[in-house]
Amino acid sequence: MKRYIARRLLQGVVLLCLVATIVFFLGRLTGNPVDLMLPEDATAEDRAALTQTLGLDGPLTEQFAIFVGKALHGDLGTSIRMRQPAVEAFFDRLPNTLVLIPWALLLGMILGIPLGVVAALNRGSFLDRAAGTVAVLGVAVPSFWLGVLLIFVFSVELGWLPSGRMGGPEHFILPVITLGTFLVAGFMRITRSAMLEVMESEFVKLARIKGLSEGVVIWKHCLRNALIPVLTLWGVFVGNLITGAIVTETVFAWPGIGRLTYEAVIYRDFPLLQAVIILKSILILSINLGVDILYAYVDPRIRLA
Amino acid sequence: MMRQMPRVVMLAFVLVVVAIAPLRAQDQKGTLVFAVETLSAQTLDPILEGRPGNAVYQAVMYDSLVGFNLAKGGVGPGVAERWEIAPDGLAWTFFIRPGQTFHNGDKLTAHDVKFSLERQMGPGSLASAAASMRRTIKSIEVIDDLTVKVNTNTPQLGMPAGLSRAVAPEGAIMPKAYIEKVGEEEFRKKPIGSGPWKFVRNVPGDRIEFTAVTTPHWRGRPHFKDLTILLVPEESTRVAMVRTGEAAIASIGPETMVGASRAGLEVLAVPGTMQAVFQFWGTYKPEVKDSPIAKPRVRQALSLAIDRKQVIEHVMNGKADMPYPFATFGYTDYFSAERWKKWADEAYRYDPALAKKILAEEGYPNGFELKFANTALPGTQFMVDIGTAIADMWTKIGIKVTLKHYEWGSFAPLERSQGPLIGWASMYRTAGRPDAPWRYDGAFSPESIQRLLGDKEICTEACQEFVTTYRALLAELDPAKRTALTDHMVELVANSWTVIPILEGMGYYAINTKKVGQFKAIAGRHELGDVFERIPRPEEKPWKK
Amino acid sequence: MAIADPPPRLSLWRLVWPARTPGGFRRTARVPWIPIVIISVIVVMAVFAPLLAPYSPIDQTLRDKLLPPVWLDGGSDKYLLGTDAFGRDVLSRLIYGARVSLIVALLALTAGGGIGLIVGIVAGYIGGAVDSLLMRLVDAAFTFPAILFALLLAVTMGQGLGTLVIAISLLLWASFARVIRGEVLSLRQRDFVALAKVRGCSALRIMLTHILPNVLNTFMVLVTLNIGVVIIAEATLSFLGAGIPPPTPTWGLMISEGRGRLTDAWWVALIPGIAITLMVLSVNLFGDWLRDRLDPRLRQL
Repeated sequence: MKRYIARRLLQGVVLLCLVATIVFFLGRLTGNPVDLMLPEDATAEDRAALTQTLGLDGPLTEQFAIFVGKALHGDLGTSIRMRQPAVEAFFDRLPNTLVLIPWALLLGMILGIPLGVVAALNRGSFLDRAAGTVAVLGVAVPSFWLGVLLIFVFSVELGWLPSGRMGGPEHFILPVITLGTFLVAGFMRITRSAMLEVMESEFVKLARIKGLSEGVVIWKHCLRNALIPVLTLWGVFVGNLITGAIVTETVFAWPGIGRLTYEAVIYRDFPLLQAVIILKSILILSINLGVDILYAYVDPRIRLA
Repeated sequence: MMRQMPRVVMLAFVLVVVAIAPLRAQDQKGTLVFAVETLSAQTLDPILEGRPGNAVYQAVMYDSLVGFNLAKGGVGPGVAERWEIAPDGLAWTFFIRPGQTFHNGDKLTAHDVKFSLERQMGPGSLASAAASMRRTIKSIEVIDDLTVKVNTNTPQLGMPAGLSRAVAPEGAIMPKAYIEKVGEEEFRKKPIGSGPWKFVRNVPGDRIEFTAVTTPHWRGRPHFKDLTILLVPEESTRVAMVRTGEAAIASIGPETMVGASRAGLEVLAVPGTMQAVFQFWGTYKPEVKDSPIAKPRVRQALSLAIDRKQVIEHVMNGKADMPYPFATFGYTDYFSAERWKKWADEAYRYDPALAKKILAEEGYPNGFELKFANTALPGTQFMVDIGTAIADMWTKIGIKVTLKHYEWGSFAPLERSQGPLIGWASMYRTAGRPDAPWRYDGAFSPESIQRLLGDKEICTEACQEFVTTYRALLAELDPAKRTALTDHMVELVANSWTVIPILEGMGYYAINTKKVGQFKAIAGRHELGDVFERIPRPEEKPWKK
Repeated sequence: MAIADPPPRLSLWRLVWPARTPGGFRRTARVPWIPIVIISVIVVMAVFAPLLAPYSPIDQTLRDKLLPPVWLDGGSDKYLLGTDAFGRDVLSRLIYGARVSLIVALLALTAGGGIGLIVGIVAGYIGGAVDSLLMRLVDAAFTFPAILFALLLAVTMGQGLGTLVIAISLLLWASFARVIRGEVLSLRQRDFVALAKVRGCSALRIMLTHILPNVLNTFMVLVTLNIGVVIIAEATLSFLGAGIPPPTPTWGLMISEGRGRLTDAWWVALIPGIAITLMVLSVNLFGDWLRDRLDPRLRQL
């Protein structure tokens, strides 16, 4: 177990370095924030002065070396636009995104798992296909379209819910729906296939022979075992959610890191962009590692693989 | 006498009540909520923010050395009531309005003005004019508590305008004693200014909160008790918030205007805030010598092919105007506005038959290929729409338009190097400012970034004449002669047909009339940062239909 | 000595007429006719766009802007589905938009899927250090936020079809690679591969003639399941301003352009949204059915 963790950690670090390097060079290929900050009548001199103030002069390799040096000390630079340490800017907004994710996952599971159970129990029939269709609907509807429609219907026309921004519980409803619907299909599929597998297994047959009621069989034996693969989905989905939040955060004016990333690209805020991607990667890698460890702990077969 | 006492007392009482009543009516109540697309750097330190951010939210808590002419737009009194130029033109003296204080009670004096200007020019400043300020300002002297003298290296006739929020943010006055006492870091966390609103809280990515000062202020004492500026990037969400009342005012674009008015919202259009233009790059370069766009008449034909009224009607939903010549507006200083309006209405008319005729005369009866770059600042989708519309109009007179789309951040580097852009036409824009020369310099001077008339190697006749006129303009002190020179400069450029205005745009806002009373914006000033204090409550001044 | 046969090849006949297994016909889902019809309609629209569309999709008639569809007040049968803000016919743009969506899907799936296929086969078959390296790259691709990468590309290279295809391909290749590699790992152990090795076939030949045909089933399923991903990715990138620029009609751009006008001209944004939903739904249901048919082991997808 320990070796497994150690190996994964090492892989994670290597990955991080790779990602950081890609971001650094790719980011700088996209342009220059100085151009975006100067007024129309700026002279070449003004440009040079601003470039120097921002620390963007000097050869690229030198800048990279400085970046790496600072990064090892935990300093990922200062956001050009907001003049705040990039790491600080990231952690300021991170909780806002993180707080949406568990609810989105919950929504996905609340809708997806029962659909998967219904599908598995009625395999091949109309109900199976209907459940499948409902689940896939969540993937098929573009999330920004859904978000805008939800605002239009529930906020503007009906006046039941607020149009956006963070706030009390009523502010969470529409963004969570927008963010979570595309998870339903995944949960449904996994539950269905896991249930099917378990339902045909030996010990369930044994339970049936023993005369246990169908309900008990389904609940105690099938479902609980079917839930194990659901865990793996968490790891995949959290990564998706963190990235996918860009759209939801834009539509609902939610001050999270998705929107922060988008702005960093548009304004060519290199330090912020680098910091956001690196920190996001660390976050995703950690969550994946956590889920894998959890999974390995729960399912001994994996541990030994 | 004794029996009249109760009457006297009652009279006194009534008098006192009557005296207090108007003060009561001045009570500040409620929160004014404004939703905007971007808060730029979202920092309350004026040296770290650019012009747009300063205009939207910093302006509420900081006063500027030079202010606005509220009636006409353009420059007017600010922290300084008036200013004089020295006879030799090498110094400006600003006379400061007495009785101003910062939010912590400190008096605002000439020392704060000197401190602020120096801070804007200082090393940590991200002010875009910092470098040019350092170039032109020789020294700043405090003559007395209410008088400041700024000595310059060369005559700087535009300096007051440059320190007015109508033009630039570098005039923001910051508290010297406070910053020196608590240091920069602390100042950024707990900023203090002298404006009609005080800082309360800044939540990055979400909003900024202010509260009104309770004492009278020369800009106007706010009618609301609190002001919240919300960051809501998605336009349809902003409109939704105004409809539900979560916000009172939201900035919008022309696309959502119709929907907003149909939904019962009031739409405010601030005239003269910008000009949408199209321009030709590198027309003087040898490599485009034989290209159609090297010929001024061809460029003029392209202008005649555009039905500006249709674009205004359909793309801007009627909320835009026919333009003045490039970078000029009704409020431009030292400018014969009336004469130029007549000229522009004639020159920028729609005449496709004439356009085709000119093309044939110049040797292009079957049109030609035109490469056109469509680009727009983030959040100004209507610019892209305008570009799409005019490209289609050119197609209708036989031009084969190759439309290439650039995101603004990718377009800017191209401007500098200009290699890929030579021989191209592109969309562009210019902000509403009362001083034309600065903008002309940035576009036409051979050393400028855009260098549209000529560069250091090739300065055509038109380019040389521009340089001469501009230099004369910089040094001219007599207003009549300045006007003549400005008119000459405008004429030069207008006849060169290198930058051609399409329309004069406006800034647009959707307003929930139940949440705010009727107000007017400052002409030519898109942002509301200097307007919030004068916005009445709905019961004080309901909107008239 | 019985040598295990390679797994059954893809047979179109088998798609519709299930093989007889002990216990009767497999009780998997019947042929999903509705999705197939929807997909066919859209493909026909895309292929025959110039013949079917009543107008040019980029022709503007500003006077006729924002007309509602024919069944509403103010609609006319000149424009069956109404017009957008530039007076362009929504129906024509929808039809041409199908073409763009399908072209993007085709190109991105070929490029991304192709790369993923190659990487998966190579990594799975050759193994060792090559496998490790390639899988690290795959991991990096998964960690790097995909939309962000597309945004960066769009701002660097300029918006356009090429940029979009490259961006989406980069989004896809890693998931293809991972799944195919898994397949190849198990195929590698099979007897027919060992036999080929004994016969002296080079690694390249084995990969091409033995491995490749047998992962095609999986590949096809992945392709169908990812068509939806591509279409949604294009729409999302258009929304963020990094898709194919105007005036080319794409469904994502149509939604993006229309989203500010839901109050007064809801058809501009709603109709392409419905089109995307139907297309992705159909493609997914079809893909599910295909997977059930061809390779139930892939149920985990």
